[in-house]
Amino acid sequence: MSTLTFTLKISLQQRVDVSPLTPDNLAGKSLDEIAAIELQNGNRKVRADAIFTLSGDDHLNIVFKNALDKLDYIGKGNSNGEISVEGDGGAYLGFQLQGGTINVTGSVGAYAACELRNGVINIGGNAGDFLGAALPGNKKGMQGGVVIVKGNAGERVGDHMRRGSILIEGSAGAYLGSRMTAGTIAVLGEVGAYPGYAMKRGTLLLLTAPSAIPATFNDCGTHTLGFLPLLLKGLQSYQTQFGALADKVKRVRRYAGDMSGAGKGEILVSES
Amino acid sequence: MLTKLTGGKVYDPAHGVNGEVRDLWIQHGRIVAAPGDETPGLEYDLRGKVVMAGAIDMHTHIGGGKVTIARNLLPEDHRGDPVEREGLMRAGCGHAVPSTLTTGYRYAEMGYTSGFEPAVLPINARQAHHEMADVPLMDVGGYVMLGSDDYFLRMLSSGKSQEEINNYVAWTIHSSQTIGVKVVNPGGISAFKFNQRSLDLDEQHQYYQVTPRQVLQTLARAVHELGVPHPLHVHGCNLGVPGNMQTTLDTISGIEGLPMHLTHIQFHSYGTEGDRKFSSGAAQIAEAFNKNKNITLDVGQVLFGATVTASGDSQRQFANSAHAHNGKWVCMDIECDAGCGVVPFKYRDKNFVNALQWAIGLETFLLAEDPWRIFLTTDHPNGAPFVMYPHLIKLLMNKSFRNEKLASINPDAAALSTLGTLDREYSLYEIAIMTRAGAARLLGLKDRGHLGAGAGADITVYSEQEDQEAMFAKPDYVFKDGELVVKHGEVVNIVWGNVHTVKPEFDRGPIEKDLKDYFDRYLTMKLDNFIIRDEEIEGDGRSKIIVHPCGRA
Repeated sequence: MSTLTFTLKISLQQRVDVSPLTPDNLAGKSLDEIAAIELQNGNRKVRADAIFTLSGDDHLNIVFKNALDKLDYIGKGNSNGEISVEGDGGAYLGFQLQGGTINVTGSVGAYAACELRNGVINIGGNAGDFLGAALPGNKKGMQGGVVIVKGNAGERVGDHMRRGSILIEGSAGAYLGSRMTAGTIAVLGEVGAYPGYAMKRGTLLLLTAPSAIPATFNDCGTHTLGFLPLLLKGLQSYQTQFGALADKVKRVRRYAGDMSGAGKGEILVSES
Repeated sequence: MLTKLTGGKVYDPAHGVNGEVRDLWIQHGRIVAAPGDETPGLEYDLRGKVVMAGAIDMHTHIGGGKVTIARNLLPEDHRGDPVEREGLMRAGCGHAVPSTLTTGYRYAEMGYTSGFEPAVLPINARQAHHEMADVPLMDVGGYVMLGSDDYFLRMLSSGKSQEEINNYVAWTIHSSQTIGVKVVNPGGISAFKFNQRSLDLDEQHQYYQVTPRQVLQTLARAVHELGVPHPLHVHGCNLGVPGNMQTTLDTISGIEGLPMHLTHIQFHSYGTEGDRKFSSGAAQIAEAFNKNKNITLDVGQVLFGATVTASGDSQRQFANSAHAHNGKWVCMDIECDAGCGVVPFKYRDKNFVNALQWAIGLETFLLAEDPWRIFLTTDHPNGAPFVMYPHLIKLLMNKSFRNEKLASINPDAAALSTLGTLDREYSLYEIAIMTRAGAARLLGLKDRGHLGAGAGADITVYSEQEDQEAMFAKPDYVFKDGELVVKHGEVVNIVWGNVHTVKPEFDRGPIEKDLKDYFDRYLTMKLDNFIIRDEEIEGDGRSKIIVHPCGRA
């Protein structure tokens, strides 16, 4: 069995919805059948082999080569196997993913890990706005799983997030964890304005002190929180620097909020 | 061109035609008498087919602010039901609140050729007309909402004469280009602004010191004296409250014989019997309906599934907001006019209350004796989206299908309902009365809802089938003003419908003088801008205004 590979062979003028190309959906299909799958490309439908060169047969191990930021919905709703993206991904990467892994070497567009249920997403580059968020109008964002971003993330990371972890090794934009219901977001680099905007519960762990804490968060002083080393240790099996911080992060300053809402969330800022 | 529809089985209750084989002739968009020996330019062989006038939905929320709010509130309703561009049809979306174009296509595909928006707020009437003008293939019209607006309540509480009030009502009908008057929770929407959380029929509005009973009597009299054909369209007090059946009975007796249309009566037919203090009042309501010939009803049938309730009744919608599906809802105040409440809702067949609501609606249909005075609605989208009408028709026409469904709902609700003992099955003739002839008569549409010479050629042709749901979901042909628009369930031609209005006579001078001052002081709009001129509706050459005559028979 060899990796099932989709190599982008044309220069795309319009976006392509590649949601049918997932391990779940391709199970039991021959290469010819896969080639005939119709993909939405802008306002028309085209065969998969009009866009990609296909090779391989292991549907549990899918690779997109020469990938571009115009490939939307990579891995939508998938529940097992591994999808690798060599290059960039478009919007809605890992949309409602239920299991399995997605690895991206480059950057991805908006709404990556949107309403993620379970599984692991590794992003080598940057992520756009609304990482791990809910679709507009929906009340539940990411509900499980782990998202790791090596670069920076845009604004509104974890909007309406319900459960799971988002780990950002670069910086994050404004409104980090807005309207969060629960879950954990950790950021190594800087964060933009208004972290925790309207958060109900959940934890923002910031390794770099933000320039300002919103007025609706109460300073609760510094603490040595026993769960932090355990939390970070739990991440050691993932491809992230956070696991190595287990012995370093001990004392944090805790801010409780957002007091304009339920106020049971917290921003933890590392002091060590 | 002369078109002949040959040999169809015609159901035309307005002329007492019950399934007789007849030919129909169409010329210049109208039905004409048999033209002698002239040969038709086009002939449709309808032998073995069922022919009816185009259906009329006399209560459907297809335009105005609340529909737009519902769309904004429910992006998931749109994502969940995308419609691709196909043939002549442009793209659209939405199940409970479809986009305007999709609304028109779906109605036409079911053989509906007219729909009436029952809650046109005067201040938002222009937007409602814009929205309805974007619904293709359908004639439209609206009922203008009065009764909780400050100007009317001021008139009433300051003891203005009936004649002065009649002038105001007529002025509002003219200005908003509507065909009737609706009152929603009479006075209650205004009372809500003064923090009254309910307002019973004889309870006083604490600021204006008037009661809903007075509001109803005054408005019903105004509509009657102005000679507007459609009686006052009443969404009564206490919508959805267990025990509101008594309020409804009091409303019926309280109107003192004036014509009155009670809308979505299902939501107003609840008793308080049984362990859960919630029971069916359909039998009592139907009895009062059968006795009082001045009363007409539409049912507002609940059918199971996710939808959204959109109403001007901000008072009751606020009370229901705790039941909002997905925890999202909107209630708002609309200037000095009224209010608006949008609450997404999911009716579940295993839920006791929802299941009983379903049964109450059907009981009302089956116990009401005169199909000329009761109309088939789901109060789209409040009880269910209009696309479920064929399912509802099957429930009415097929007893075994109905009992099958009854067996699958919440057993406690089923046990409390008399539905299983009701043997009545609606005939095609009765369905044609409810959805065509009766509705047209109720609204005073002289040239719609029938197939006599002179009528607008809105015609629907079905293949008679064992399964009435399939039959009514996909007519063979639909003609709109003589043009073939739907063939075998597919839209083949896009035309634009008319706007139906009435223009009762009244004394414009004094009322407009006083209103101008009121507009300048209190409203965001000047009086001159408030009035919708004919050219605003007809200017683009798509819609035509049809003015129906007023006057008491």
